[in-house]
Amino acid sequence: MSALEIRNIRKNYGSVETLKGIDIALQSGEFLVLLGSSGCGKSTLLNIIAGLAEATSGDVLIGGRSILGVHPKNRDIAMVFQSYALYPNLTVRRNIGFGLEMRGVAADEREKAVAEAARLLQIEALLDRKPSQLSGGQRQRVAIGRALVRKPQVFLFDEPLSNLDAKLRLEMRTELKRLHQMLQTTVVYVTHDQIEAMTLATRIAVMRDGRIEQLGTPEEIYNEPATLYVAGFVGAPSMNMLQASITGGKLAIAESDVRIPLPARYANAAREGARLVVGIRPEALRVATAPTDLSLPVEIEVVELTGPELVTTARIGAQRLTACLPPRSQVAKGEKRSLTFDETALRLFDPSTGKALPTV
Amino acid sequence: MSSTWMTTRAWLLMLPLLVVMVAVIGWPLVDTVNLSFTDAKLVGTGGNYVGFDNYTNMLSSSNFSRTLVTTTLFAVISVAAEMVIGVLAALLLNQQFHGRAVLRALMILPWALPTVVNATLWRLIYNPEYGALNAALTQLNLIDAYRSWLGEPGTALAALIVADCWKNFPLVALIALAALQAVPRDITAASLVDGAGPFNRFRFVILPYLAGPLMVALVLRTIEAFKVFDIIWVMTRGGPANSTRTLSILVYQEAFSFQRAGSGASLALIVTLLVTVLAVAYAALVRKTAGSAA
Repeated sequence: MSALEIRNIRKNYGSVETLKGIDIALQSGEFLVLLGSSGCGKSTLLNIIAGLAEATSGDVLIGGRSILGVHPKNRDIAMVFQSYALYPNLTVRRNIGFGLEMRGVAADEREKAVAEAARLLQIEALLDRKPSQLSGGQRQRVAIGRALVRKPQVFLFDEPLSNLDAKLRLEMRTELKRLHQMLQTTVVYVTHDQIEAMTLATRIAVMRDGRIEQLGTPEEIYNEPATLYVAGFVGAPSMNMLQASITGGKLAIAESDVRIPLPARYANAAREGARLVVGIRPEALRVATAPTDLSLPVEIEVVELTGPELVTTARIGAQRLTACLPPRSQVAKGEKRSLTFDETALRLFDPSTGKALPTV
Repeated sequence: MSSTWMTTRAWLLMLPLLVVMVAVIGWPLVDTVNLSFTDAKLVGTGGNYVGFDNYTNMLSSSNFSRTLVTTTLFAVISVAAEMVIGVLAALLLNQQFHGRAVLRALMILPWALPTVVNATLWRLIYNPEYGALNAALTQLNLIDAYRSWLGEPGTALAALIVADCWKNFPLVALIALAALQAVPRDITAASLVDGAGPFNRFRFVILPYLAGPLMVALVLRTIEAFKVFDIIWVMTRGGPANSTRTLSILVYQEAFSFQRAGSGASLALIVTLLVTVLAVAYAALVRKTAGSAA
């Protein structure tokens, strides 16, 4: 039995269909990230799970029990909001214990649970403060504590780190990962930040226009993107996408003389003359020391040192590509160099459907 | 730019306003203080200096204490009712339903009406011969015969309070409605997930956001209610048997009906002092509420 099952959920706002049939089943202890840009329907889906919005059709089951029509407080869920949503006039102690207080849990039991959550989140010293006396990071810890203390079956997070600055976001991300590893709870987490998704998730659902574009582990999403959208959305800098066609059994990069061998695993999927998109991650590219079959002759346009890597933008024929090279790579603007990559790093997509070509 | 120049410039810019204020408020106030120490009549000579006699006479008179009680009753009950009805109306008008915008606009009407119109309207409703209230209550078998709501000392003040509430609750409702728009949706959602029922949701989630604006409404309305004159003058003129006489009516009667300008001035200053004490106390409360909400 799944801890959380979402069955063909649809949601209409008037004539606009926000969710177009979502199916997901989560096992207990999974960390699912709903990843997508603004307006893709990820928060709507989370609100439907929480009971804060009604689905037009479909069903949501928690622990095998349908929860549609059930009041949010009876769904055995806890939710952490982007804005923290702390009660401004209550102390941290009462904020964390509020859910238990509303459920009539005895004061001593409540106090014990609050102390335990505060210890886990290292906010024991803040218990008697009001939210206005806390920093953003501390507020987010309190919001997480308020969810933890209830020990629900499913935790819902709605972009919880978006209001934090970059450094705090990194700290809280690690903190969330630590908590999940320790507590092994089932989590549904909404974000538009692909780094958060990659680092936290056990599975990612990339959403677009109310549909799931791809559902898979972070490795699958990153290494084997099912569509051009996923390939472009996940990864920074995003995957290079070069227009190409099959010519003489080879991949001919458009508007250039470059020909590279067609990987054997695509032999059945690509027919002669077909137009394709060649996808190569920037971090899969390196400067070629000797000519190989998989060399891409380029002219360096821009070189940006970010610290850990040298982000290099180059032209191949009329097209551009980006390479993430080691920081001490000897490349300079205007140079003509060859970039190479492992054959396994190459992905092919059908530009008409936007889908990845099947491999053998 | 130096801070001295900034201060000078600020004073210069405020000077015209200060001059007008001194002319229309300061000078009459000083004149009233002078008058209050005399036995001057409304017409005729300036009167003789009588020291604090006007004050001691007024404060020790049963008229004053009875009127103070009536004024306090009127202010406390009408403002309390306005706050409760106003907040309830705001909570209802904050819900999503068809026709909400029309209802919101309609609600402002009583407040937008001139007080004299409102008072005349309620005099008609309370009319002992053809009033709508008598008709409704008789037809509902709640009373046997038509009554003179404004003519009986036992009901006149209550009838006035109802009329005043009807006129002024929309102001409270408007202020509360504006404050309700500021309650973050996430906090309401969090309280739903946390299991807070409607009462706890109001107490822990909504009220903290309403407290500051409501305190301002409370200050404004209490001061206004304490100074009430027009609605009472139009509806009962302080009667019957002085049962609806408030401090402002007493000031008017003393100064203009009985033409005792000196005594009227002392009473006016006592009322001013009481209202000032109220205003200062409430201002402190507003600051405290704003401080705790921050």
